[in-house]
This record gives sequence, C-alpha cells and structure tokens, in this order.
Amino acid sequence: MPGIDECLLEVMQLPGARGAALVDWTSGLALGTAGESPGGDHETAAAEAAELARLAAEHRAFAPDDPENSVADPPVEDVIISNRDSYHVLCFVRTSFDSSVFLHLWLARVEGNLALARIRLGEMTGRLVLG
Amino acid sequence: MTAVTTTPPPRLPVRDKAEARERAWGGVSPMLTRLAAERATGVLVRERGTLHLAEGRVVHAESPAAPGLGTLLTAHGTLDADTWRQAADEAAEPPGAGLLLVGRGRLTRGALELCHLETLYDAAYFALAPSSTPGRFRYTSPGRSGAVRAVPVAALEHETLRRRDLLHRIWPDPATDEAPLLRADTVALPALTARQRAVLHLVDGVRTAPEIARAMGRPAFHTLVDVRRLAAAGVLVRGALKPAEAARIETTDPDITLLKRLRDALESL
Repeated sequence: MPGIDECLLEVMQLPGARGAALVDWTSGLALGTAGESPGGDHETAAAEAAELARLAAEHRAFAPDDPENSVADPPVEDVIISNRDSYHVLCFVRTSFDSSVFLHLWLARVEGNLALARIRLGEMTGRLVLG
Repeated sequence: MTAVTTTPPPRLPVRDKAEARERAWGGVSPMLTRLAAERATGVLVRERGTLHLAEGRVVHAESPAAPGLGTLLTAHGTLDADTWRQAADEAAEPPGAGLLLVGRGRLTRGALELCHLETLYDAAYFALAPSSTPGRFRYTSPGRSGAVRAVPVAALEHETLRRRDLLHRIWPDPATDEAPLLRADTVALPALTARQRAVLHLVDGVRTAPEIARAMGRPAFHTLVDVRRLAAAGVLVRGALKPAEAARIETTDPDITLLKRLRDALESL
C-alpha cells in the first residue's frame, strides 16, 4: 500500500515530471517532496502554491453551480497554470477525514502531457488515501 | 507602636546570556536541539505538550490543545470509534495504533501518514510554545511498533516558527487563540468560506478554538488560522475567560504577577 513517498515517486514517473510535492494549503507545509523544486526551494514553492490553492478552494466564483456538488470540500478539483516552458497542476486530495491537502506537479511543457497528467494525478491521490 | 515591615520588591527576571546566544539563531527549545544532536530516544514533556523522540527525531507529539490522531480519524467516519479504541488499547501510542489498523487493512498507509504528520506538526506547535517552566526529558528504550514518519527536530522547529509568523501576519492579537469565543455584533457579515462557516457555527460564547477544533475533528492550528481571520474581519471576539482558565493564568510567581500587573496597567493607559 503506498505511502506519501511512494505516491510522489509514482507521480515522478509521469512523462515530463520535474518535481512533485504534497502540500497542506492551510499551513503551507510540504508533507513530502520529490524531484526538483520550482524556484529552487521546496519550502517557498509549497507556501506560494498553498496561497494559490487556498484562493481557488475558497472563492465562490470557482465552485460548480450545482449546489449538490458544492458540499464537496473543496469544491475545486484542480488548478492548472501554464507558462512558456512548463505546466503546474495542483490536484486537491479528497479525504474522508478533515484535511486541506493538494498534490503539486511541475511538468515540463515539451515532454509533458497535461491531459494525461491531470487524470493520473486524480487516480494517484485517490489511491493514496482510499487504497 | 507597630513596626511596619514591607516585603522586598521582587527581583526582575534576567535572561541568561548564554541561553540568549543559543536562541539567537531562532531555535524554540535549546534542550530539544541538544537532544537531537545526541540522537536521544525518549519523551520530552513541556508545559503545553509532549514530544516523543526516537534517535533524535520526532516520531509523535501530543498537546491538550490539539486533537489527536484518533479524533481526526473518527470525527468524520474514516474509522468507527470502537475500531480505533480497540487498536489504541493494543498499542502504546496512537501512531502504533494507526500502524495496526494499516496492517489490518482498515486504513491506507497514505491516509495514516497524512493524518500522522498533520497531528504531529499541530501538537508540536503548541508543545513548543514559549513556556514559563523548563521541559523535562525522560530517556526510554526504543518503541516496539516502529514509527509512521520521523521528523527532524530542525524541520519541526522551523515549521513551528513559520506557523507563529503566519498567524501573526493574519492578525497580530493572540487573544482569541485560547479564550472562549463570541460572535461580534456585525451589521454586515463578510463573505465567509465553508471552513470558516463551520468554525463560526460552533462559536457559542463557551467553546475555545482548541475545543472547536476537537469538535470538528480538524487540526487546532488550522482552526486558529480561521479564528484569526474571523477576528481580523471583526466577526469574532474573545469572550470571558472560564474560571479554571483564569486560575491557570493567575500564577503565583511574584515576577510574573508583577509583569502582568505592569502589562495590564500599560494596556489600560
């Protein structure tokens, strides 16, 4: 059964993966990291990504219209950022206990496949907490 | 004729210079730093919580202010209370109980590690809070059940200081951290997040932030973040202290009572 480190190593197997981290978006703490860190420092990257994830998770504008789905905490599934050379995917981890955690994948734009990465991240975070 | 005797004024506390030098790098507990350096195994009991060390790394932390692993895992039905209690009775510490449950297929390794790290950093934040009494360390033999995750002392101290900063930046007044909370009379409520509404829902003039955290099965620091944000927005205020809480704060140490009287006088200026 995978722990946090095994999950991050699996994420790093994705084509084009440069770095990955499991981050708590309330505190900004990285619970685990693998590979390179965007910006050169895992701690700063985690704190900055946490700020962005928190905004996405909290603001009503990003929640689905359907009130049935809005009870999900957070109502957002993932946040995607692209720049000239890379993608960042922040995938929220759904847990049966109270948590505020997301998986941050840093993907090289040339080798990476954003659609595949997004689907695989969802599967991997599910396996991490649900087995 | 009566002789008038006055008690001498209390000595002013003086901080030990050697200790101050050691603190200059920003450490939170010089004793913990030493224990990490000597790769000690045992239990460090501090005023507001306990840290369990194995070969100089922190493997478990507890604080009365922070909900434990069992609370987190049972509050929202991840585990039922009986399953947790049985495992907790068999193991020496909550992480050991968690490992038993992983072995029995009741919990995934990932979920346990996540909850364990959250509760460890959470309890350590309170355990490493400034205290008025020195900590005590008891050396023990290594535990049998093994650790879920071991956190280096330096990383834990660093994160604790970062968390203090984070709270301070949200709202610099710690008054709402431990006191019973009251809703403020606000004309228009600002837009609140779902997590903040859950906190506010439990504010009743009696519960404190750590009690609200326990009731929600949410880490206490996470609750403090929302409480400070609600205080900053003017939605929450500190209520009256409970008698027991007031008595705990009402210390008999003459140095501290003098400092407190001075502070109160300055605040009322």
